[in-house]
Amino acid sequence: MEVYEIFRRSGHKSPFEHCGAVIAPDPEMALLLGKECFLRRREGEHLWAVRRSDIHALEDESVLEIAADKSYRFASDYRDVVQKRKAARHRVSSISSGAPA
Amino acid sequence: MREALVSLVTALADDELIIGHRHSEWTGFAPHIEEDVAFSSIAQDEIGHAAAYYSLIAEATGASPDRMALGRQPDDYRHAVLCERPNGDWSYSLVRHWLYDTADDVRLEALQESADAGLAALAVKMRREERYHLLHANAWIKRVAEGPIEGRTRLIDALGKCYPEALALFDSLELEDSIVDNDLLPCSSSELRARFAQRATSELDDFGLPADIHRDLDNSAEFLASSSGDLIASEQEALTTSSRSGIGGRAGKHSDDFKPLWDEMTSTHRLHPDAHW
Amino acid sequence: MSYEQKLEEFNLRVESGGKVEASDWMPDDYRRGVLKFIEMHANSEIMGALPERECLPKAPTLKRKMSLAAKIQDEIGHAQLLYRVAEDLGKSRTAMYEDLLAGKSKFHNVFHYPVHHWGDVAVIGWLIDGAALVTQAALLDSSYAPYTRVLKRICSEEQLHLRHGEHITLQLASGTDYQREMFQDALNRWWLPIIHFFGPRSNVAKDLLLRWKVKTRTNEDLRQEFLDRYVPKVTELGFSFPTPVPRPEGDAWMVADEDIDWAPLDAIKKNRGPETERRLGLRRAVYNSHRWVREALSEPAVHAA
Repeated sequence: MEVYEIFRRSGHKSPFEHCGAVIAPDPEMALLLGKECFLRRREGEHLWAVRRSDIHALEDESVLEIAADKSYRFASDYRDVVQKRKAARHRVSSISSGAPA
Repeated sequence: MREALVSLVTALADDELIIGHRHSEWTGFAPHIEEDVAFSSIAQDEIGHAAAYYSLIAEATGASPDRMALGRQPDDYRHAVLCERPNGDWSYSLVRHWLYDTADDVRLEALQESADAGLAALAVKMRREERYHLLHANAWIKRVAEGPIEGRTRLIDALGKCYPEALALFDSLELEDSIVDNDLLPCSSSELRARFAQRATSELDDFGLPADIHRDLDNSAEFLASSSGDLIASEQEALTTSSRSGIGGRAGKHSDDFKPLWDEMTSTHRLHPDAHW
Repeated sequence: MSYEQKLEEFNLRVESGGKVEASDWMPDDYRRGVLKFIEMHANSEIMGALPERECLPKAPTLKRKMSLAAKIQDEIGHAQLLYRVAEDLGKSRTAMYEDLLAGKSKFHNVFHYPVHHWGDVAVIGWLIDGAALVTQAALLDSSYAPYTRVLKRICSEEQLHLRHGEHITLQLASGTDYQREMFQDALNRWWLPIIHFFGPRSNVAKDLLLRWKVKTRTNEDLRQEFLDRYVPKVTELGFSFPTPVPRPEGDAWMVADEDIDWAPLDAIKKNRGPETERRLGLRRAVYNSHRWVREALSEPAVHAA
């Protein structure tokens, strides 16, 4: 018997989520038991069972920290878009009034 | 026509109620914790189906589902004796679960074509819900049948006890002729019995379980005793004797196992039949 | 880092609200303490199913038959979730179950008592589940994160059980004299065990679980919350309490320490409650006679068709 981690998915907007684990002798039983242990209130329409031994975890999680500045991956780095739009509009109106850049 | 419907549906409902009641007695004691959870759902499904059947005939009987389930005398129940047997070892309960749900699938398949629209619709719905029961029963039987010898032996012993009583699920119902003439059941109980026997035999073969078990009880006791099924012959004989002594759930003649079950199941309700709980 | 350094870092982290995961380094005392705590919780869920399953065959309506079965199913499900969490701390489920059967590990006091009738179902479903919810809600802040994650689901199911229990109670309370007497009779028998459920006054200085924030509130604090919440609800239904009788003090409902007889709890701590041996005995009998199932589940197919 092994530990099988159980995943369920509901609807179309969210991916599979982990909901717990069962101890079962094989994948077929894991699914049957997982259904009643974790979906008996119809919390999902899709069900996965994965042997825990097939799941791999990162040994050193400090590797997940963001080292160098990667602020360009975040929307907050582009907050000055408001000022930039103001400046661009100002430039456009100065073109039509014939004033230099 | 109405009485025929009541007779048919009462038998179906009582089967579901009593077997659901027995299944629910495993709660807290099933031999594997996750299985305890799963089997409880199966028990709840059967009780829910009983409630749905009783509701279907509530108008005709003039009795609420609760009154039908818990307010009748023991002789008025029409479930098969198979359902009232105590749970015993897990092997007995598993085999009974497999046989009962396989039989239920055979009759629900027929009931989908019932001339009574309400019953037909209910049968369609229930058959869908029962699919899990079959998946579950099959997975367990397969695993135990292919496993260590002790489990296999217990399974085979249980089949010996259960199979004849499973066949009796298809004993003629009260008002059988009227039920069949009115197409409430699209075919006779004995036709359903033959279908069940054929399916069960073939599926047990697939599990690698000995074909000896499913001898038709119509064969003589001498045949049973002399065949290679010596280990179980005596139990078969005991059962043949008891059927000869007049146990027949469909006629309201239950075994000694039913009265204590009935006593306990109806005790609170009987204290106060008209109270709200 | 030395053990002492790691310990100091751990203490600092946990005492300032940090969480611990299964794969983190933890002191042996923490691991042992959390494991024992969660194991006892799991044991209580699986033993807790027993009193209620004794009432299940007698459920008075089809709906109650199904809903009570579902409630007990949830409790077994809770045991399943909790044993899983405990296993990851380093003790197999088999070992935990066998220790329970052998009387080496414990379960909550309330599950050592007999049930008599449907009134017990009401008291258990409402007041005992209410007490459990008070303690479990407090544990949502526990330092051991895997425990808090399963507690989230457990608490939300217990909320439903509480509602179910209250539903049953209110039906009895507004029913016949006989039904009201059923509830009062059950309350008379269960009240002292419910008070015991929270345990005696916490020893804050010595309680490692409190220090490491596995538990976040004292026993007396939790008991007081329960009394303040539920005593008025019981009183307004016209029921009365046996000893220890709660008395109002402002908004609070107080139970005097001198009115509490702790002797029954002391017996239960030695696994000598009224139903302890019978219920454990039943479990042992089923477990021992079903070794064949465990073998069938554990061993690979030997006899493919």
